[in-house]
Amino acid sequence: MAKGFFTDTTVCIGCKACQVACHEWNELPAREGGATELTGNSYDNTGHLNALDWRHVRFIEQLPVSREMNGFLGESRWLMMSDVCKHCVRAGCLEVCPTGAIIRTEFDSVYIQQDVCNGCRACISACPFGVVDVGEDGKAHKCTLCYDRLQHGLEPACAKACPTDSIRFGDVDDLMVLAERRAAQLTAAGTPAYVYGKEEIVGGLNCFFLLVDEPEVYGLPSKPELPSKNVAEGFVGSAAAAAAVAITGLLSFRKERMDAMHGDLEEEERPRTTDRD
Amino acid sequence: MTDFLLQLATNPQSGYGLPPHWGWYIVLYFFLGGLAAGCYAIATLLDILGDRRDRDAVRLGYLLAFPLVVVCGVLLILDLGKPLRFWHMLVQSENVPELLLKPWSPISIGTWLVSTFGLFSFVSFVGALIETERLRWDVARRVDRRVRDLPRPLILLWEVLGVVSGFSLGGYTGVLVTGTSIPVWHNAWLMGALFLLSAASTSYALLMLLLMRHGRAHHDSTVSKLARGDRSAIVMEIAVLATMLLLLGALARPLIAGGFGVIFWLGVVIVGLLAPLVLHGVPWGRMTAERRAMLAAACVLVGGLCLRFVIVMAPQYPAVHPWAL
Repeated sequence: MAKGFFTDTTVCIGCKACQVACHEWNELPAREGGATELTGNSYDNTGHLNALDWRHVRFIEQLPVSREMNGFLGESRWLMMSDVCKHCVRAGCLEVCPTGAIIRTEFDSVYIQQDVCNGCRACISACPFGVVDVGEDGKAHKCTLCYDRLQHGLEPACAKACPTDSIRFGDVDDLMVLAERRAAQLTAAGTPAYVYGKEEIVGGLNCFFLLVDEPEVYGLPSKPELPSKNVAEGFVGSAAAAAAVAITGLLSFRKERMDAMHGDLEEEERPRTTDRD
Repeated sequence: MTDFLLQLATNPQSGYGLPPHWGWYIVLYFFLGGLAAGCYAIATLLDILGDRRDRDAVRLGYLLAFPLVVVCGVLLILDLGKPLRFWHMLVQSENVPELLLKPWSPISIGTWLVSTFGLFSFVSFVGALIETERLRWDVARRVDRRVRDLPRPLILLWEVLGVVSGFSLGGYTGVLVTGTSIPVWHNAWLMGALFLLSAASTSYALLMLLLMRHGRAHHDSTVSKLARGDRSAIVMEIAVLATMLLLLGALARPLIAGGFGVIFWLGVVIVGLLAPLVLHGVPWGRMTAERRAMLAAACVLVGGLCLRFVIVMAPQYPAVHPWAL
């Protein structure tokens, strides 16, 4: 049975308890020994998912371009989204991994075996969501869907810690029913909402989101593609070029050509000799 | 549009693959791998079609290919986060005798191509060493004689397979970048063709340069064959590069604008593609045909390296605007 997260961004309060719980359970250290690092463009100072932050609460601070509002916030809106690995049904990282380090587990989650990964970093550029990152140890890291907790019947640390139930863990099918019901409820109440991560997003995401704005606003691609999408065309193009090189090579190497070349050369040489004269 | 740009600027990781931190090891691997593959393929084609006078070029190609592919292997291993685990790409590490090949993963295919091509180029390398009497070990010489006495179709088949593995190595590096989620790379499905043509062109140039350095003249039959081949490769490369950029449209910005754009237009287009064609075709000042051909070959090599540099680095570290739309 596929397990996953349903992250309802409309009830997220940006407390980052999920990030903290993830760090604690997975023993992820602070960056730079805990030195303060500011993004400078947001109240969020984590920035994005990386090798040490497997959960990350994005702050989308939608403020009017002009800050002179006479004390009123006008049309401003803050969106919060706890981002995480999507554990895709068709996972780009798993697809490209040349060592077999990335596997699909019995919970249908996507897991990087640390004792197999050799740090080739193919998965990093393969993930259409920018989730996988390389750690200081040279290996690839991302959310494990708390594989160790799942094996013992516990829910992942982030879902356990979330105080507003913005992050819900469970069977993907059940969660999807819940998500659709919530989207319909919000839309009926005047806030158009939808589920991001159904089948049209690279075959479906086991960890999906409820959004109230365009995916791009949350830093999610609206039309992600698997890294392998253009690979077949690439090989065909490459083979055609190889054939073209072979054919032009054959033509260039033929004896007749060689004789023709001598003719070419003599023509080339002529102006030079006249120059000298 | 501006909203979208603004939003992208505030969310720099907007839903696309993160840079895989490929640096000089990979740039050099793409360049030298192309040279290894190209030198081998050209040498083999010359071996099949050429005459006695082409033997020097054939041997030179074989003597270059294997050491180059060994350097490539070393570069690839050094690039890994865990270099000692390089064998995890060939063998299932938790299931040891079982081999690991994922034919849908370009990087997995590449691992095997480097290995297979290594085998083909090693055989030809030893053959060339014996032919030039650099290797005088009796056992090797006896094996060599046996092999050369094999029926011609069998040798031809081996050579064709070798050329196929060489061409595959030269082209797959382009497909490797297509098989990612980095927008410029992902959408450039002609990258494989481009890298292959560049591999062919730079290899023609390297062989010409080395042959002429040993006192061969430009009108020498082998050198002029290579020059002819190089010119057609360059023309095809220009056509593929132009088509690729047109298909990429606005996405091509990181490659052709900003700091990388300077390297692209100056290094790749002018020095690497246009200058060699002009130098080959039109007499220029008081320069002799030999000088011009050598300069053209050097330009092609510089251009090939610039091409790999821009294509590997620019999409990872776009200097202008992160997503350049």
